[in-house]
Amino acid sequence: MTTFTKTSPTETSPTEIAASPTTLDPVLSVRDVRVRGQVDDREFVKGVSFELTPGKAVGIVGESGSGKTLTCRAVLGVLPEHFEVSSGDIHVAGVDIASATREQLTDLRGSTISAVFQDPASYLNPSIQVGPQIAEVVRVKKGLKRRAARRRAVELLAAVHLRDPELVYSQYAYELSGGMLQRVLIAAAIAADPRILIADEATTALDVTVQAEILDLLADLRENAGLALVVVSHDLAVVAQLCDEVLVMREGEVVEQGPTARVLYEPQHEYTRLLISEHEQYGLEKFLTREGP
Amino acid sequence: MVRRVLSLTAGRVSAAILLAIALLAVLGPLLAPLDPLAVSDDTLAGISGSHWLGTDYLGRDVFSRLLDGSRASVVGALEVTLMALVVGAIPGILSVYLGRVFEWVTLRVADTLIALPFLLFAVAITALLGNGITQAMLVTGVLVSPLFFRVSRAATLAVARSQYVEAALISGASLPWIIRRHVWAKVLPPIAVALAQTLGVGFIIVSSLSFLGIGVQPPEPTWGGLLASDLGYLDYRPWAPFAPALLIMATVWASNLLADAIRDVSGEAGRALLNSRKVRANQAAAAGGTA
Amino acid sequence: MAADPLAGRAVTGVRARQAGWRVLTTLGKSVAIFVPVFFVATFVTFALRSLSGLSPARLQLGESATPEAIHNIESQWGLDRPFLVQYWDWFTDVLHGQFGTSWVNGADVATLIGLGLGVSVSVALLALVLGGVLGFALGTLAALRRSTWVDRAITGFVTVVSVMPAFVVGIVLVEIFAVGLDLLPSGGYIPITEGVDLWLAHVILPALALSFDVVADVARQLRTGLVSAYRENYVLGAVVRGLSPRRVFFRHVLRNGVGPALATLGIKFPSLVGASVVTEWIFGLQGFGRFANDSAQAGDVPAVQGVLVVSVVMVVTFNLIINVVLGKVAPAALRGV
Repeated sequence: MTTFTKTSPTETSPTEIAASPTTLDPVLSVRDVRVRGQVDDREFVKGVSFELTPGKAVGIVGESGSGKTLTCRAVLGVLPEHFEVSSGDIHVAGVDIASATREQLTDLRGSTISAVFQDPASYLNPSIQVGPQIAEVVRVKKGLKRRAARRRAVELLAAVHLRDPELVYSQYAYELSGGMLQRVLIAAAIAADPRILIADEATTALDVTVQAEILDLLADLRENAGLALVVVSHDLAVVAQLCDEVLVMREGEVVEQGPTARVLYEPQHEYTRLLISEHEQYGLEKFLTREGP
Repeated sequence: MVRRVLSLTAGRVSAAILLAIALLAVLGPLLAPLDPLAVSDDTLAGISGSHWLGTDYLGRDVFSRLLDGSRASVVGALEVTLMALVVGAIPGILSVYLGRVFEWVTLRVADTLIALPFLLFAVAITALLGNGITQAMLVTGVLVSPLFFRVSRAATLAVARSQYVEAALISGASLPWIIRRHVWAKVLPPIAVALAQTLGVGFIIVSSLSFLGIGVQPPEPTWGGLLASDLGYLDYRPWAPFAPALLIMATVWASNLLADAIRDVSGEAGRALLNSRKVRANQAAAAGGTA
Repeated sequence: MAADPLAGRAVTGVRARQAGWRVLTTLGKSVAIFVPVFFVATFVTFALRSLSGLSPARLQLGESATPEAIHNIESQWGLDRPFLVQYWDWFTDVLHGQFGTSWVNGADVATLIGLGLGVSVSVALLALVLGGVLGFALGTLAALRRSTWVDRAITGFVTVVSVMPAFVVGIVLVEIFAVGLDLLPSGGYIPITEGVDLWLAHVILPALALSFDVVADVARQLRTGLVSAYRENYVLGAVVRGLSPRRVFFRHVLRNGVGPALATLGIKFPSLVGASVVTEWIFGLQGFGRFANDSAQAGDVPAVQGVLVVSVVMVVTFNLIINVVLGKVAPAALRGV
């Protein structure tokens, strides 16, 4: 029963999702969103707007505390305690997050919008093997039976380029490396075929080669599965590699926003210029020459 | 540390209750209006002007017995606590320094004492050894001592691994000097917490033992013993158990409250030590052994 | 690429072996902890005779016995042999379930203990179930409604409950249910074989009296465990993957937050067994707690030793079970995560 066949033709594999209908309607629209802390009544996010259509990627760049993670969590409807969206609105696949019920939000998460984060080990239940945690998503969100869900989870592990997915399936989070864990986390995030994937500092703690591999994987998913990506990073290079549009945030404000090439070539704001000059030594030129006008 | 504990409401409340109980223990026997052992024909009487809490089945004045019994109850708990401190803390500190064999043996003994069904052993051993107050305190003290063993050992380990002790050792300071000078300051707050806790625990144990007539024997009054003699006559004096029960519970509660207050002011280091899993388990065991 | 069924089977085999290995490791580690505990406990128990200076001769012959008569009887019981030889003999007997014969009436101690064991085990297990269920309910409720009035009410209740010694609770229960309402018998025991309702009516009050302490500790530990589990990233991860709050609670929060509460059950069990001394006295039950008390007061050393060893065995067995369950439910807890 545990024989691993590579993508039996009857199952949908991530690569086939590319064929799913692409509409030009935005899957995610964020309009002038502000996030307020209830304790000291401070505004942490001061008006963020962007739209995302299938297969596109938007990047949010900024240092820690700039409000990029809060923006993501607002989109997912999982703001920490004592934080609230004070104005603006968020629509995920046409559903208004602010007025959605708890059940609606639960339905949306996983199957329409999903996310991966920094420090992947902590996002996996330490008491359950990693595979069953993916199978759980497949079972709950796609209604597959136990055995089919298991097979699908192994396929997903293979799809995120993990070698020996059968073995990984039955390992615990503490037995895997950071790069492997991030792949597992991505597999879990795409298990219910969402249309939007938020990658919040997903490559930050990984070493450079692993980071590149994960970024390739995300690019793959975007091209082949039509995933819309929100890539959040403090690292301009990461965002530049993946995204069509970039938002530069500082202290809750979007200081610059526009197509990636424009922002990289003709930065308007001095903070953006600072970020770019800081990154020159990390080989940003490579992208400049490749994706330049 | 005392001042900081008293700056907390919990600290003040618990200190006030414990002070009142201590006063009761010192003055109680002197304040008793009637002879607590004097038998009369007026048995199982209700509350009246001459008998504030009525009389028991032998016609003895319950109020006088309650006051008179407070000393034995409180002193018993204190003795248990001090016994546990001596029996637990000294090997606890030494286990860090006296080599692996000593360490292993003391750790296993502590494990064992924690795992023992506490009250059963306390009752059985005390009775076998001659059922006196001394035996009871000795046995109970040893049985509660693992808490002190663990706490003082953990604190000592934390200190022993720190750089300045190493520096002191290298510069030729003697072992007793290091213990006095460096170890003691770190060990003290957690031990204070353990003391307060053990006081509560000891109180429950001493009351339980005297309830069974072990340690302090009838006719000498104790709060636990009072409850035991009330038990047979609940039909006649259903309210009788409340006074001793409330006193016991108030004392235990105040001790626990004090322990929490000390823990709250003893800073991060102390808290970390007290919250370490092993120690918590021990505290639970000590507190549990009581019931 | 053609799939290789053999490779698949091999992986399954590896996995099964891994799972079995994990259970074995936890079991092994637990045994490693408890074997010394058992040795030390039996040694202390056996040393009680020497420590107490009691001898069967005193019990049988009285104070006026001649030294020769005492010596005769002591050698009859094998008490004149070296201490360690006696210990080893006794210990091997204990491993075979033999506790010797009573000094008082010459009856087989194992049989005597067996008579009372049913009562005590009934009460202790019921107390454990009651305490576990109530404690879980309260702790879960407090954690789910954390920092609301529900949480504060439960915390307050738990504090009150935790300072009530079993004998105080016992008396209050007798007062309310037996004397006041006349609903339940105030004492005595009827085996479960003669009717579950009768059995329950007789053991429910002592079990309840014992359970208060368990309720308090389990509720407290579970609340703390769950609240800290809710703060963990894997809960956010599960929420983001679109799992329902109920599923998140049972599969992700409870599983990781239950560790301390389960461990507490293991720690509480000895005190339940120990407190049987008091509750059996209050409720007039002839369990082994009562037997221990009576034998100790009579100076019947073999009987006391037997009871104590049985109680240690119960504690050790129960803790082994808890450890294995803990390893199954929350392997992370055992790794110290």
